[in-house]
Amino acid sequence: MIRALLWLIAGLMLGLVIHLVIILILPRFAADNVWTQVQKLEAMGQVVVVPQPAPGAPNPLGLDPEMAYAICQFDLTEGPGAFSGELPADFWSVGIFDRDGVSVYSTTNRSGVGQSLELGIFNAEQTRLLSQQQFEIEEGLLIVAAPQNDVFAVVRLALPYPEMRTRYEQALAALTCGHTNVLDTISDK
Amino acid sequence: MLVIALLVGFGLSYFALVDGRFFGAYRWGAWAARPEVGATAPDPYTRAYLARTGTLQLGRGEGVQFIATEDSDGQALTRACTYRVAGSTPVAAFWTLRATTPDGINIAREGTPQSMHSNRLARSNSGVAAIHVGTPLAAGNWLELDAGTGHFQLVLTFYDASFLAGFGASVTALPAVIKEDCA
Repeated sequence: MIRALLWLIAGLMLGLVIHLVIILILPRFAADNVWTQVQKLEAMGQVVVVPQPAPGAPNPLGLDPEMAYAICQFDLTEGPGAFSGELPADFWSVGIFDRDGVSVYSTTNRSGVGQSLELGIFNAEQTRLLSQQQFEIEEGLLIVAAPQNDVFAVVRLALPYPEMRTRYEQALAALTCGHTNVLDTISDK
Repeated sequence: MLVIALLVGFGLSYFALVDGRFFGAYRWGAWAARPEVGATAPDPYTRAYLARTGTLQLGRGEGVQFIATEDSDGQALTRACTYRVAGSTPVAAFWTLRATTPDGINIAREGTPQSMHSNRLARSNSGVAAIHVGTPLAAGNWLELDAGTGHFQLVLTFYDASFLAGFGASVTALPAVIKEDCA
């Protein structure tokens, strides 16, 4: 009886270890995570308006039909990322995520940035250089310090009516994103 | 011993990532959310959840998403029945409600609104909106589903949700999901 109980306890303990190992290694071995989904959009250094799935079609990114989406991917080893442009007065938000899909930064146009999106994304080294050289940034520029070099930005724009999708997706397509040489500029000063 | 270990190890992991109760998921009535998905330093369970789902998440500054797979009586949502989603909602810029299969395919009937938007709802004098979800014709706000069968889920997304500032304690109201008729 005691031996059976000991086997049971040992099984439970080993089960807990298996559980913890699964939880900890899953992010590293997930084959179809959000980063691979975003890579399929070929949005590296450019704005891609994410097509809304047709009714009844798979929706791997979990898009809300009431929103229009634009995505831009960055490799910060190429230089700091920049994402900018003007957006309609309706609600919009921007989120920066690392390759594990973890939020790095997020905000909405209700936080005082109005209709203008001006975002600079810097890795740790670039952030350090930026602060050391006391670069004067433009007013309204949002500085985001990213913990990784692989990040992507998502802009969500709320549609006042579904019929506005085409026009609002055109507004998203007019945004610009890419890598800047702002740090080279600073070094030259 | 090995059988027990494998059952506990994989079973507990599946429960943690699918249901999530006791593993970071927040529950209020029929609704469940993972408040850590929008955090900048989520816990290991949320990181595993993010890896498993592969969907775009909302940052904490953008909003929060709740999912209901059951009605308020704990019965799984099925397309054989109609439901009424009614009640107060937390403060947010706006919210949307859609019905999907468990793997996220929108099941609203083609040619009808694919989701409900809080700014475009008929409301009672008290300001509360009720949304009917199902295949049969319904008066008022009607999220019409296609003619498929099987279980489904409701996805309720709040944008610019100020109640996130004190998440958990300040979520005082979410709509009830009430089963009406079944075929």
